[in-house]
Amino acid sequence: MKSSGFPSLGRVSSGKEDRQKIGLVWVLFMVKDDWMTFWTKLFTLAMMGLGLAGCGRDEQLREARRNVVMVEVTSQTWDYRLPWNPGTVSSARGAGFVIEGKRILTNAHVISGARNITVQREADPRKYPGKVLYVAHDCDLALLEVEDPEFFKGTTVLPIGDIPELESVVSVYGFPIGGDRLSVTRGVVSRIDYNSYTHSGRESHLAIQIDAAINPGNSGGPVMQDDKVVGVAFQGFRGDVAQNVGYMIPTPVIRRFLKDVEDGHYDHYVDIAIRWMTLENHAMRKYLKRPDDGLGVVVTDIFSEGSSDGVLKNGDVLLSIDGHPIESDGSVRLEGQPVQMEEIVERKFAGDTVLLEVWRQEKLEKLSLTLRPAEMFSMYESLYEEAPRYVLYGGLVFQPLTANLMAVLMGSADLRLRQTYSMFGQDQLYQETPEPVVLTSILPDPLNVYLRGLAGQVVREINGRKIRTLADVLPALEAGQERTVILFQGDQRPAVLKNRDVDKAMPRLMAQYGIAEASRTDLGNRRLAKGFFQKADSK
Amino acid sequence: MKNLIRLGTATLLMGSWLWAASIDESRGSLVRVRASIQPYDQFRPWQKKAPFGLNGTGIVLPGGKVLATAALVENRTEVGLEKPGSAEKCAAEVEAIDYEANLALLRPTDAKFLQGFAGVKMGPALRPGDTAQVWQLDKNGEMLRNQAEVLSAGVGRYPADEAGFLVYGVRVSLPKRDDSYTLPMMRDGMLVGMMMGYDRDSQEGTAIPVPMIEHFLKDALDGKYEGFPTLGVSWTSLRDPNLREEFRAPKSGGILLTRVNPRGTAGRAGLKEGDVLLSVDGFVLDEDGNYQDSLYGPTSVGNLIRTRPIVGSPAKFHLSRDGKELDLTGTYDRRARDEIAIPTLQFDVAPRYVVIGGLVFQELTGAYLQEWGDKWSERAPQRLVQLFSFQQEMNLDPTKKIVFLSQVLPSSITMGYLQLSGLVLSKLNGQEIDGLKSLAALADGANEGNLVFEFTDNPRRIVLDAAEVKAMGDKLGKDYGLPALRRL
Repeated sequence: MKSSGFPSLGRVSSGKEDRQKIGLVWVLFMVKDDWMTFWTKLFTLAMMGLGLAGCGRDEQLREARRNVVMVEVTSQTWDYRLPWNPGTVSSARGAGFVIEGKRILTNAHVISGARNITVQREADPRKYPGKVLYVAHDCDLALLEVEDPEFFKGTTVLPIGDIPELESVVSVYGFPIGGDRLSVTRGVVSRIDYNSYTHSGRESHLAIQIDAAINPGNSGGPVMQDDKVVGVAFQGFRGDVAQNVGYMIPTPVIRRFLKDVEDGHYDHYVDIAIRWMTLENHAMRKYLKRPDDGLGVVVTDIFSEGSSDGVLKNGDVLLSIDGHPIESDGSVRLEGQPVQMEEIVERKFAGDTVLLEVWRQEKLEKLSLTLRPAEMFSMYESLYEEAPRYVLYGGLVFQPLTANLMAVLMGSADLRLRQTYSMFGQDQLYQETPEPVVLTSILPDPLNVYLRGLAGQVVREINGRKIRTLADVLPALEAGQERTVILFQGDQRPAVLKNRDVDKAMPRLMAQYGIAEASRTDLGNRRLAKGFFQKADSK
Repeated sequence: MKNLIRLGTATLLMGSWLWAASIDESRGSLVRVRASIQPYDQFRPWQKKAPFGLNGTGIVLPGGKVLATAALVENRTEVGLEKPGSAEKCAAEVEAIDYEANLALLRPTDAKFLQGFAGVKMGPALRPGDTAQVWQLDKNGEMLRNQAEVLSAGVGRYPADEAGFLVYGVRVSLPKRDDSYTLPMMRDGMLVGMMMGYDRDSQEGTAIPVPMIEHFLKDALDGKYEGFPTLGVSWTSLRDPNLREEFRAPKSGGILLTRVNPRGTAGRAGLKEGDVLLSVDGFVLDEDGNYQDSLYGPTSVGNLIRTRPIVGSPAKFHLSRDGKELDLTGTYDRRARDEIAIPTLQFDVAPRYVVIGGLVFQELTGAYLQEWGDKWSERAPQRLVQLFSFQQEMNLDPTKKIVFLSQVLPSSITMGYLQLSGLVLSKLNGQEIDGLKSLAALADGANEGNLVFEFTDNPRRIVLDAAEVKAMGDKLGKDYGLPALRRL
């Protein structure tokens, strides 16, 4: 009877809400070294007796053995509690497969934060260094390249197929725990639906549920049917939550990714950026002067700066999208299948248009939207490659509010901070404060002995200047004459520091706490995708 | 500074260790209090939760009234008194109750019931290190007297209060006898405190000191109970020399006011945010907000404001504003606490609601949010948490109540709305909603046409057909077994 109160979410929402709704625990199918003990315990039996024997599809198996590769990755994860540190190093294993253009397709989560990547084929004992060509964290896909042409000797190309039928049999290839050689498991297509893509933390796309045993290490591996790839295995539920529920990224998402990178860089998914409500209530239909034809949904929120801003209005009834009639539950028919209407937008790119038939003030209107990514919600997306940004001043650590920061603060964050985070999208706080800045911690020093209770507060002003993003912090600090006055949201006392004292304390603080740089503010808060891998590679 | 709603009542414990037992003259000072408790169900506002009984100890006062903790009798359906060692019983009325101070005054309905009871007189205030006895009734009516020591005396938290009152920290070993550790703390046959919480593991507890009890009884004397005054401010320590300089505070002493409720004692006296409060009623405050108490030494200003004066007594403030010192005067009251849009504390108050064609509307209260459990601030609808927690800074008009859609009962006319909950209602048919009464009146007045409900959040607007709501009438109540479709 109690839910969080948002009946029909458009695709835009904080990831947190979505996960709360689902209320289940996700895992990504990648073997992490530190998970091994746990997983081995759980899955050793399940894996026994499953091997390559028993798979009668010779051709498919032969092709898979040629083209499925093991991807071993050493990655580094930033520590948002100590943002100046380089982070912890860990190793993991996933799978990938060769597609046209001598490229290897895998999951973004397999290679995120990678410092070293090696790829290996069944037929060749050598490990070849791999390099990330493109990564799409929003749909959990990545493309790798291998410079050494030797690697591709004997490989062909796994062709990309279509959406498989419900209940049709598929085979999953990969290198899950239980051994080091190629594994194959089989199952049927259980469900085709929208689902959260947990790697990004906020995205939902089409995903296909299969009941084949897929386990850590299967990540990035192909799911095949009739010699064609019909998906990439990527996530599922832990065994204590649900059995035989695994998910693969279907081919429309894969094709979209491959098409997106044709121009040399990956853009983010686009978003219609509205919330809507189903139109199932007959009094509501009558009020809106709509016949009982089971069609249409009502627009209830339009996010400023989004694709629909200035085009759609609250109360509009959406009747069709690109010519597909919209059912009153928000679904459209696509290739004979009912899918959520957002799927139409999903397959498009930034700058594309979508045509809407809208019932507005008892008149039918045809509107055209130019699609763009919902950048204003990027705060809810987990960050992988960019280093955490911060400003250190007199032991006070300022950081922008991000999903990564909330993930480490969640237990201890006070109500105001939690509300700033959870209401950020819903209340469109991004208009005022695109990137709230938090005084995340205070490194103890005689200078700040009276300020320690202020950790966790959201910064409102520094030296009379509004703080809208982290980039505002340094100039505002520099604007202070003798003293620096920091104001916070709510009725907190201000923090007052003497600049002379801070100047004296900084070298001491940095030496004591082993901090090389007093700030890292250079990177913008979003979409470094175009350039960042060049950066990552040069490290 | 934090807004808290109460999270628990008296500690209930198990134990069996018995310190001392003897029959003596102290018989005639205690009675058993037996209360049937049945709290309202905030999620199903038309009903109450399962009832249960609570037993505790009441202290007979001279004149035949009985003192108990509020936690023992709140949300009661009835209260009875029982003489120790006999089955003689009598119903009792609650004459005065203060949920914040956790005190209640009971009057037996039969005036003769406590004839022959001498009653207990008030004893002195205690200091840390003083000893006392905690009295307890054994099953057979005999008295257990447990040796107790006062460990601390200072301003601390009471179970249902948000600011703090004077409280004794007490060390004592208490055997379990009744459901509650509401027990008198005695010295030389006089009452010096009342136990209100106890932790069996550490063998430490808290007690309401006698100055609090005297304040309560004095207030209750005239039959019109007003309660403990409040200042209506948030403040912070002024130890930080940089902060002192910023607010041009004098060399030493004083606290910084970070928020002043304009309706409260301080606000109406003219105090403002950013003022440095130096003394109250002639008592000088140090940088941490302590004054020098003749009995307890440095004690928080909270005691000065709340325990010493009564509502209506004059208040004197000495402060520094922009480096200049000035004096302001006012009158102590409770308006900062009582005149509030979303009440923080509510016991013995039936939740109000109205059901309109299956849409269940309630008025937002702290009690509703508390129903979500310990993690209410994470689990309850975030808009409601926000309004409640930040109502001071959002300047909510205390004369207007927050009405929200708490749930939707499925019916033929609420199809498509079933998942809605936790939505704040702003308008019905274009009219502002400032409480359940105005909502019910508007809905009642509409016999045909649309009922257009507007909410502050997604989905913004939903519609019912007024004629269909009328036609549905009491059927909904019958289908769901609701005793009534509204309580206004």
